[in-house]
Amino acid sequence: MPNFPVLFGNTAFPVNLVAIGTIIFTGLVVLVLMRVAVAKMDMRRPRGMQNFVEWALDFTRNMARDTMPTESAVRFVLPLAFFTLFFLFIANWLGLIVTIGVKLHHPIPWLGLTAAKLATTKGDVLFFDSPTANMSVALGLAVLVWLISHARGLRHPKLWFRHFFSPSPLGLLEEITNPLTHGMRLFGNIFAGEALLTVMLQAPFALGWIPWTLPLILVWLLYAGFVASVQAYVFSVLLCLYIGNKSFEGHAHS
Amino acid sequence: MFELGTFIFSIIAFLLMFWIVSHFGFKPIARMLEQRRAHVTSQIEDAEKGRLEAEAILAEQRRLLEEAKNEARAIMDAARARADEQAQQLIHAAQAESERVLADGRELIERERNEALASVMDQVAKLTVELTTKLLQNHVTEQLQQDMLAEAEKRIGELV
Repeated sequence: MPNFPVLFGNTAFPVNLVAIGTIIFTGLVVLVLMRVAVAKMDMRRPRGMQNFVEWALDFTRNMARDTMPTESAVRFVLPLAFFTLFFLFIANWLGLIVTIGVKLHHPIPWLGLTAAKLATTKGDVLFFDSPTANMSVALGLAVLVWLISHARGLRHPKLWFRHFFSPSPLGLLEEITNPLTHGMRLFGNIFAGEALLTVMLQAPFALGWIPWTLPLILVWLLYAGFVASVQAYVFSVLLCLYIGNKSFEGHAHS
Repeated sequence: MFELGTFIFSIIAFLLMFWIVSHFGFKPIARMLEQRRAHVTSQIEDAEKGRLEAEAILAEQRRLLEEAKNEARAIMDAARARADEQAQQLIHAAQAESERVLADGRELIERERNEALASVMDQVAKLTVELTTKLLQNHVTEQLQQDMLAEAEKRIGELV
């Protein structure tokens, strides 16, 4: 595991500053792209970024329509699904495009970078990485989706209560496995991609000068990029599905 | 490994960024799309309304044209009937006139003939008087009387 600067590392409440920072950074990237699209917005003649954003919005809307029971649920989830898709796409690619590591020679105890921890990575500390390569972040997003789905389900408390047991009480089990797999799937895919990339980058050259890992890295980079895109889509689809499953206001497209 | 602080703060940071992006990026786009949808809908409605209106106007025009045609035909028929009637009247009038003229002519001839007859009678009377006078003066013989009578007859014959 790479080392990250962590606040409150000694307590039960450690905060990974890189993860939080890159979440905000990714959000800002999304914001900037959206603002570019909005700035020269034209109802009649869409151009450039506006076309892309409109296409992405349409894509998200269709995705939500395919997985959700009602049009009102689609309208409810559309902003979140759109932002999540956009956000995760950039966040997942972030760690593949650039990771910034620093070699520390002196431990910084208040950031959790103690001498013992630094020793495990020979002093390397990551200052920029995919936020989704962090398990806590991925689980946080999954739990957020879980909370939103239940908040929406509680608009119809009776139906909400019944849906835990209606086919079978195994529905209760799903309430634990769904958010867990939802988050872990995202984290695992992104983390694995980056971890393998790091390993290959650190592999020694053959005979001291032949970069034999280079073609492997290129292939893996392409594959990891594909996985990053797919995982963003999968997470968003499941978001729509989970929230749609708890939208009880009718089961027909209106 | 799981970090509770990262977990909670990532949710907060994600929600914060979501709120900012949806407020400053998503809403304008959604509003624009809604505007476009409304615009397209109203345009389609307008087009449909315009088409219906055009159809109504076309039907109205057709109706008016048909009406005008019928009217023209009626006017033509009426005019033709009146013209026929007038021609008939003219012919009648001409016939009556010609009959009148004919009758006038006949009457004139009759009158003149009567006049001529009257004047002949006058002359006969005068001649008779003359002849009588001559007869009385010239001691008329049988032969002479015969001659005179013949002459008188001849003349009357000439006159008549």
